[in-house]
Amino acid sequence: MTADNHKFLADKGSILKVCLTASLIIFLFLLPLFVGSPYYLHILLLTFIYTVASISLRTITISGQFPLAHAAFMGIGAYFSALAAKFWGWPPLLCILLSAFATMFIGMLVGYLFSRLRTLYYAIGSLFFGIGVIYIIYAFPCTGGYTGMMGIPRLFQSADKLPYYYFFLIVAVFSIAALYRFEHSHIGTILKAISQSHLVASSIGINEVWYRVLVNGVGCFFVGLIGAGYAHYNMAMSPTAFDFMATLWLCMYVLIGGITSFAGPIIGTFILFLLPEFVRGLQIYAPYFSAFLLFIVIFFMPKGLVSLPNLLKDYFLKRKEGGGISNVSGS
Amino acid sequence: MFLEVKGLTKKFGGLTAVNNLDVTVNKGEIVGLIGPNGAGKTTTFNLITSVVLPTKGKILFNNEDITYCKSHSIARKGVGRTFQLNPLFGDFDVLQNVSTAFHIPDTSNLFDFYFNTRKHRYNKEKILEKSHEIIKLVGLEKVEKVLAKNLPHGNQKMLGIARALAINPKILLLDEPIAGMNPDEVDSILKAINKIRAQGVTVLVIEHNMLMMNICDRVVVMSFGQKIAEGTPQEIRDNEEVQTAYFGGGYIA
Repeated sequence: MTADNHKFLADKGSILKVCLTASLIIFLFLLPLFVGSPYYLHILLLTFIYTVASISLRTITISGQFPLAHAAFMGIGAYFSALAAKFWGWPPLLCILLSAFATMFIGMLVGYLFSRLRTLYYAIGSLFFGIGVIYIIYAFPCTGGYTGMMGIPRLFQSADKLPYYYFFLIVAVFSIAALYRFEHSHIGTILKAISQSHLVASSIGINEVWYRVLVNGVGCFFVGLIGAGYAHYNMAMSPTAFDFMATLWLCMYVLIGGITSFAGPIIGTFILFLLPEFVRGLQIYAPYFSAFLLFIVIFFMPKGLVSLPNLLKDYFLKRKEGGGISNVSGS
Repeated sequence: MFLEVKGLTKKFGGLTAVNNLDVTVNKGEIVGLIGPNGAGKTTTFNLITSVVLPTKGKILFNNEDITYCKSHSIARKGVGRTFQLNPLFGDFDVLQNVSTAFHIPDTSNLFDFYFNTRKHRYNKEKILEKSHEIIKLVGLEKVEKVLAKNLPHGNQKMLGIARALAINPKILLLDEPIAGMNPDEVDSILKAINKIRAQGVTVLVIEHNMLMMNICDRVVVMSFGQKIAEGTPQEIRDNEEVQTAYFGGGYIA
C-alpha cells in the first residue's frame, strides 16, 4: 500500500486539500485570541453544532435515502441528555455520551422500521416520525412542553464561552474526521452502490437493510452527540428548535453547499450561518436571501456551492479557447 | 438436481404470472427458458432470487430450500443473476462495478472496513486481481476506467454478466443477455458464456434469439405462466405447440 500512499501525496489536489483543512483547523483554534467578543464566539459555536448536524445528515443520504427527521434526532439527543442530567443528576459529559448512543439506537430502530420504504416514501415516513417526536416532547410534563425546558446543568462551571468554544470545535473536528473516514471506507462504497441500484446491490449479496440501518445509526449518533452538547451549553431549550423547520434548514445547508461532496455541508453551513452576521442590519431578510441562494444554486450549480471553483475554471478555459465545443461533461 | 423449481405459482392480484411451474437444471448444463412476451420468464427469475416471493411452490438449490431466503443470502449461496433492463452502478467505473460485487471473506468485519486494516487491504488487493481476470474474460479491459453509465449498450450488458460472475456463482441466471446487440457483440457474448460454462458454472438463460438457443443443452418453453414444452433445441423448433404459442394457430404451413 506504500505505492498508493505515494500516489496520494503526489496528487496536487489532495496536497492542497490537506493543507487547506489543516490551516482551517489551526485558524479556528487560534481564532479566540483575536475575537474576544462572546457574541461572535457564540455564533461560531452554533456554526460548529449545525455543521456536524448537516454533515451527519449528508452521511445518511449517501445510502440514497433522504430523511426529513434529522433535527428531531438532534432533539432526542438533547432531551435525553438534559433529562438524565437534571433529574438523575448524572455528570453532563457522561449524559452527552450516553444520549449519543441512545440516539443511535433509536435511529437504527427507525431505520429498520422504514427499511421497506425508499426515496419519496422514506422521506415522508421520516418526516412524520420527526413531527411525532416533537409531539411526544410536548406531551410529557417533565420536558416542560411548549414552554421549553429550563435549568439544564451546564457542561462547564464557568459562564465563559471559551471552554464551550473549544469543546464544540474538538467535537466537530472529531465527528467530521470520523464521518469522512466512514464515507471513504469500504462501507461508504457499499452504501453508494445501494444508492445507485438496490436491486443490483442485493443481487451481489449486499444486505441492503443492514447497511441502511447502520448508516442511520451512525448519522444519528453524531447528531445526538452534538444535540446533547447543545442542551448543556444553552441550559434552556424548547421543542421548536428541533421541529420540521429546523430539519428544513439542515437540508438547506446540505443542498446549497452541495450534496455530492463531503465538504458541501460544511461550506453551506458556514455561509448560511455566518453571512447574515456580517450584514446585521439586513438580518431579517436572511430567509429571503437563503431562498434566493437556493434558486441560484439549483439553476446554475446543481452540485452546490462547493463546485463553484470548478465551474469558474471551466468557464474561463472555454473563454480562452474561443468558445469551442465544451468538453466539460454534463450532470 | 442442482436447481429444482417445484410447483411454483405467483399471482399478482387476479393475474397468474407463473402457474405450477416445474423446472430442473442439472450441474454444468446450459438451459434456455423461452416463451412469448408476458409468459412469466422474468417473474420466474425474480422468484428464484426472491425479488418477489411466490404464492405457492418450492425452490431447491443444492438440495437446500431457498424459497423464502432473502435476495442477498441467495446471492451469497452462489446464485448470480443479470437483469433485463440491466441496472448498473452508473457512477462507478467498470473496475469498481466488478470489485464491489466480490464477496469479502467473513474474516474481515466492520472494524476492518472502517479502519482499512492490513487484512482488509490484503483482501482488496486479491479482489482487484480477480476483478481484472473477470474483466478480461468478458473483454472489457480497454474500458476498465470508464464510468458504467457512459458505456455503450453492448458493453453494459457485458458488465452485467461480469458483475454476476464476480460473486463466484455456481449458477448464473441471464435475463436476455443478447437483446439489442449487433452480431459481433452477440458472438463475443456467446463465446463468453461458453467460457463460463467451461469453468463449471451452470447457466439458466432467458432468450428469444435462435443463436442463443443453439448453445443450450435443453430448452424449456413457457406460455401464459405454464411450461408447455421441454427438450433439445431441435425438438423445440419442431414442436407444434411451441409454434402456435409464438406465431398463433392456423398460420403454420
